[in-house]
Amino acid sequence: MNAIKKYFFVAWIAMRSNLAYFSEVSGRLIFLGVVLFIFLRLWQVTFGENGAKTLGGLTLAQMLWYLTVTEAIILSSPPVARLVDQDVRTGALSVQLTRPLYYPFFCLFTNLGERFLRFFLNLAVGSVIAYIFVGPINFRADGLALFLLSVPLAFTLDFSVNFLIGLGAFWLEDTAGLTLIYSRILMIFGGMLIPIELFPEWLQPAVKWLPFSSVVYGPAHLFVKPDLAEFALLLLRQTSALLVIGIAVYWVFQTAMRRVFVNGG
Amino acid sequence: MNAVELDQLKKTFQVKQGSGFKRSSKEIVAVDGISLTVPAGQSVAFIGPNGAGKSTTIKMLTGILRPSSGSASVLGFNPWDQRSKLAFQMGVVFGQRSQLWYHLPPRDTFELLAKVYELPPADYKIRRDMLIERFKLSSFLNTPVRKLSLGQRMRAEIAASLLHKPKLVFLDEPTIGLDVIARQELRDLICEWNRDEGVTVFLTSHDAGDIESVAERVIVINHGQVVLDGSVGEMRRDYLSAKLLTVAFHDRPASFDVNGAKIIERTDHSCKLELDTSVSPVSVVVPQIMQLGEVADITIEDPPLEDVIAHIYSSKHSPQQRY
Repeated sequence: MNAIKKYFFVAWIAMRSNLAYFSEVSGRLIFLGVVLFIFLRLWQVTFGENGAKTLGGLTLAQMLWYLTVTEAIILSSPPVARLVDQDVRTGALSVQLTRPLYYPFFCLFTNLGERFLRFFLNLAVGSVIAYIFVGPINFRADGLALFLLSVPLAFTLDFSVNFLIGLGAFWLEDTAGLTLIYSRILMIFGGMLIPIELFPEWLQPAVKWLPFSSVVYGPAHLFVKPDLAEFALLLLRQTSALLVIGIAVYWVFQTAMRRVFVNGG
Repeated sequence: MNAVELDQLKKTFQVKQGSGFKRSSKEIVAVDGISLTVPAGQSVAFIGPNGAGKSTTIKMLTGILRPSSGSASVLGFNPWDQRSKLAFQMGVVFGQRSQLWYHLPPRDTFELLAKVYELPPADYKIRRDMLIERFKLSSFLNTPVRKLSLGQRMRAEIAASLLHKPKLVFLDEPTIGLDVIARQELRDLICEWNRDEGVTVFLTSHDAGDIESVAERVIVINHGQVVLDGSVGEMRRDYLSAKLLTVAFHDRPASFDVNGAKIIERTDHSCKLELDTSVSPVSVVVPQIMQLGEVADITIEDPPLEDVIAHIYSSKHSPQQRY
């Protein structure tokens, strides 16, 4: 019990610490406003050209709310891979290892603490902007609950991939390139720019089963169109992806711990 | 009971050299069969030049690194197999790396550490308040760490590492970058804690003052081996038979030439001599000085500990090639 409590406290402290970066946070919020405005214009034209009421099953208003959520998710991500990479390279990792904490969990909960703070801030501001642009859509309490339940797993999944990339610092000269590739794939196949329903038919099933869509598209789509069956499916996708990546993280971390610690100090 | 027992501890690293197809692997011995015992409650300075194998040894003692061969027992645990159990009883301070959360006041880090080390809330409060008082933290306990002076920060760092009542603390250059007063305060606190709570202190430092005021015992390692193990006094006596003599005369002596002594400094009325007591003992040199003129003052001192350490580092074992 104590063992679990300490990680939640880590998350709480990380959240508090993150409040110190207020200028960074507000900078991101302005960016969010600009991005949403561009999206609104873009989709207004797309809907207008087609003369369609819905695209991929979403109305214009739903589309903008969908994009608000995907942006809030993407923009809330702390630079996990970079931080882990730094810890490994500078030897700061050795300080962490002298404490009764499991380093991957310590990082996970630090990440979740920071990320939830950023995410809810983004979502709050994004919602105000979306509300001003297109007004409300049909929100249901149970729908929101499903959405909120899907977010922690999405964040954990995203964290695990980034953490894995960060551990690459034990073998690679630089992990920034990999981080960049992953973040772009997440944006495209995760469905940040367009919902997966608008992908080519033949591509959709594969994309939905890839872990990227479980991070971005899954929760965002639940937010605008809550559906219990879809939620169950998302949960299955998230947990199975997490299982695979979790095992990979465990294995890579074990291997990394046996590697040289000549770095620093 | 012994806090630390090392038996033939050895660590080698494979280092890749060259580039492209010419890459070859080379084995480097970082720690070359160290055996030593530290009884509980002792304060030990573990010193050596850069690259001597200090950090590697400490990393093995804290369980971060697995040795290539040999065995170790720290507080009765095998550090690399029982790292998490050992972690509860051990405190670590790295002078160059902070464990305090940079944007939060020290109080929050203390709170977090209490959870991390699973301290019962009541015990934690008593312990924390005691540390606050002893380390004089109350004036900046609620100030974010980024706004603290280095001296304040290091006091908080060390207090944080003592929160869970560790039986053994590793202090890695705790006084680095501190001013003279802050340094002295910190040394006093470490001594006090070692004496009153019986904490075993394992100190590494390049500062001779730290070693002199904190450590009962000095272990010098170089090229991965223990080259000296003894008290600070013994180290001075055995290792350097040199003495420094400062002599002042009432009148101007004709010369300062004394057999077996080297003149380091001279003015009209005084001089500073260095002698090797194994060749010319003090009892032989001093009568000679007395005959040079009427002596006003004479002091005989040991050379500064820095010189002793420098001497130890540079002698023994010809330096092998390092990376």
